[in-house]
Amino acid sequence: MKDKTEPVISMLMRTPRTVDIEITARCNLRCRYCYFFNNPAVVYRDLPADEWLKFFDELESLGVMNVTMAGGEPFIRDDLPALLEGLVRNRMRFSLLSNGALIDDEIAAFIASTRRCEYVQVSVDGSCAQTHDSCRGKGSFDRAIRGIRTLQRHRVNAAVRVTIHRNNVNDLENIAHLLLEELDLPGFSTNSAGYLGTCRLNAADVLLNRQERQVAMATLLRLTQKYNGRISASAGPLSEGRMWRRMQEAWAQGAPAFPNGGRLTACGCPSSKIAVRADGAIVPCNMLAHMELGRINQDRLLEVWQHSSALNQLRRRHTTPLTEFEFCAGCSYTPYCTGNCPGLAYTLTGKVDHPSPDACLRRFLEEGGTIV
Amino acid sequence: MNRTDRPIANPIVVLREEFDDWAVLFNPDTAAAVGINPVGVAIWKRMDGKRSLKEIVLEIKTSFEDAPEAALEEITAFVDKLAEHGYVGYELKDDTDHRTI
Repeated sequence: MKDKTEPVISMLMRTPRTVDIEITARCNLRCRYCYFFNNPAVVYRDLPADEWLKFFDELESLGVMNVTMAGGEPFIRDDLPALLEGLVRNRMRFSLLSNGALIDDEIAAFIASTRRCEYVQVSVDGSCAQTHDSCRGKGSFDRAIRGIRTLQRHRVNAAVRVTIHRNNVNDLENIAHLLLEELDLPGFSTNSAGYLGTCRLNAADVLLNRQERQVAMATLLRLTQKYNGRISASAGPLSEGRMWRRMQEAWAQGAPAFPNGGRLTACGCPSSKIAVRADGAIVPCNMLAHMELGRINQDRLLEVWQHSSALNQLRRRHTTPLTEFEFCAGCSYTPYCTGNCPGLAYTLTGKVDHPSPDACLRRFLEEGGTIV
Repeated sequence: MNRTDRPIANPIVVLREEFDDWAVLFNPDTAAAVGINPVGVAIWKRMDGKRSLKEIVLEIKTSFEDAPEAALEEITAFVDKLAEHGYVGYELKDDTDHRTI
């Protein structure tokens, strides 16, 4: 029997499988490309633990499987163990996104004891202090590496994200060596600094230009072969390098459109996950923090998930053909293009329902870029 | 202690029902998950440690018009498989002779 509240989105999960929570608006660092701070739409205020614990009870009733806690810096909260216990009590698994600096033996041992941690992701942006600290502040490299070693000592799955920017684009080979050989991590993921939050204020010093982007793509494609797939990406130069290569090959061969091509199909997250800001505002994604859909413990998450008109409009974005946009007029690559991140589309164009200019292959080629 | 024929769903396992009446069983301790069809969901909801497997089969036959002849065998195999992977256990009965001599 069909639920009478069945929405129009056919592939939609009945409830979110994953919830991304910015558990705090505080951070011990002020990174030059942080997406989180300096967003005029965001209220930087923390909720007390009891508000979160009440919300976790609601997540349990919806069968949510995973919670990712980010911030700010989640380890800055003294009550983090109580919050994690709340997730465990409510039959969920969790992940934490961190700069690593505040991870000590006590909290690492606690996380290990829960047996529910998918991973703790630590940001490492350089093979040495000079590179890493250039955007993250003095002393942050040593503390990040110490944090990873602490997690490893307690057998907590330590993941690493490398954010690529102007100051580390020529350090990628050394970073891979540090992470995969010296620290013996099973792998790491990459992204690049994006035009969001604090990064908008420092864009000229931080964001990759066309030449640097090409260097990053070529280096990462080579390294991922060298390290047999141990370097991953769902966005940024490695992801773009792979995607753009496929798109160019398909175009050259006159191949039919990709199954997800030609429309604003990126990204699919709103059908399986949702996010909550540190002040309790429910938003579709941390990259779309201005889109307030409701507020935890005031609005029922199930109601927001199934019936929010703004969220359902975002889910219907995938029906919009790229040919509708002047930006895409005359582009040969539209049958293979997904329009990419709506969050970046919004910060760059002021429109969520628009392709992201940042990930435009045609623009990259017109600026002199080549695909390796 | 002996095993009864009354299966009981592991209380740590999460049942995630979807719009199409299928569902996912998720064990947060192991991160293992398995998809089950609407009949599987109906069986899962009846494994409360009070009903025997035969009683569950009878209820399923009543609820689903197209239940096959071999429903008992099929449902037993389904429950055994869930038990093998830790999603299900069985109620125990205490057969110990507590008399003192």
